[in-house]
Amino acid sequence: MKHRIYFALLGVAMLVPGVALWAHHSPSAIFDMKKPITLTGVMTKVDWVNPHIVMFMDVKGADGAVVNWKFESNPPRWFTKVGVNRADFAAAVGQSVTVEIVAAIDGSKYGYLHKITFPNGNQFSLDESQTKEEIHP
Amino acid sequence: MRLHLENRAMTLAGVVLLTATLAYTQAPAPVPTTKAAKATTASTVKMRRTADGHPDLSGNWYFGIDLPHGDLVKVVDGKVTRSHFDQSARHSIQNEVPGALPWDKAPSYKPEYQEKVAYLFKNESKTDPVFYCDKPGTPRIGSPRKIVQMPKETIFLYEDISGNTFRVIPTDGRPHRADANPSAFGDSIGRWEKDTFVVETTNFLDDTWFGENGYMHSDKMRVIERLWLLPDGNLAYQATVEDPAVLAKPWTNYARVIPPNNDPIEESPACKEDDGQRLLNTDHHLQR
Repeated sequence: MKHRIYFALLGVAMLVPGVALWAHHSPSAIFDMKKPITLTGVMTKVDWVNPHIVMFMDVKGADGAVVNWKFESNPPRWFTKVGVNRADFAAAVGQSVTVEIVAAIDGSKYGYLHKITFPNGNQFSLDESQTKEEIHP
Repeated sequence: MRLHLENRAMTLAGVVLLTATLAYTQAPAPVPTTKAAKATTASTVKMRRTADGHPDLSGNWYFGIDLPHGDLVKVVDGKVTRSHFDQSARHSIQNEVPGALPWDKAPSYKPEYQEKVAYLFKNESKTDPVFYCDKPGTPRIGSPRKIVQMPKETIFLYEDISGNTFRVIPTDGRPHRADANPSAFGDSIGRWEKDTFVVETTNFLDDTWFGENGYMHSDKMRVIERLWLLPDGNLAYQATVEDPAVLAKPWTNYARVIPPNNDPIEESPACKEDDGQRLLNTDHHLQR
């Protein structure tokens, strides 16, 4: 078989419409793919590192307590190749943003970011819905 | 997202088991003699050449590393755009690549190593050095992002998730260095076989993998990489791995076709793996 169809990818896409992510491991080994969540808070830091860019965000809970979340997303070189640089994220540091993530199964405040909405309404989102087949030996 | 199902490990083990009974023959891989090789020769009239008459491989080439396949959808000032990252230089297979050697889907390990390879592959997210930001080594890193071809040496430059890597490949006929320490990318010397640039590399550490599926090797590994220009201006890259200590026979991977790419080569951001401690199972996918 020279054409490998990634059924797992299709399965995830069907289970969680709109959620798409990449990790250098299987995302299901860390994240609950069936429960995407939306958080709003203040972005505090962007780390432009491999194998995933990393962002930190302070989220105020219902009790008023602030919890710092950590998100990873695609690799930095992927973002630059699709026209997004570190500065595009860093511009939001200190500002309120809304993110859509899948969170770590272990309950830690850790997630994989697949969509971010900036204060001015601009958005970045990962979308693998068009990637139905990959050719591989 | 590219998930690997565990049954692939079983498939790999089966392939290894079936093919490992073949006798190991440590002969240099042959120069292409197929009709495809003739096609390469026929195309040379259009080929860009250096002053010394060799095909000119210099330039920036597309990524040979693995990055996500999905698109980025960007909404800026209400305008929606979609950007796609082209992975064809890494994952495309073109059986009729002119000049390519016959290739096999998987290497054939000696029987005593098959179980180890299957274990490494099944537990890749725990056992693969590349997962934890280590160097992929030769030939796993793939084709170079930039080639600087000069009369007496050719330089390969890479952008890799593990960091920026270079290889200086003498082409003046000198032998391998006798005083070099073993390394992930090894000690390389290059030569021209007609219009194909052939790079022979030895003196490896034994802690890298030469492929993504647990393809461990010994420090006796010898890698032959072939690079040649195609009639359409693309670069072809194909690697053969010889390792009489662990392989039942040499393994030639499929030929990759790498388009030219004018994007500047950039410094790779630091690699800081933070997910290994969070993994709840051994599910994994390809690295690179």
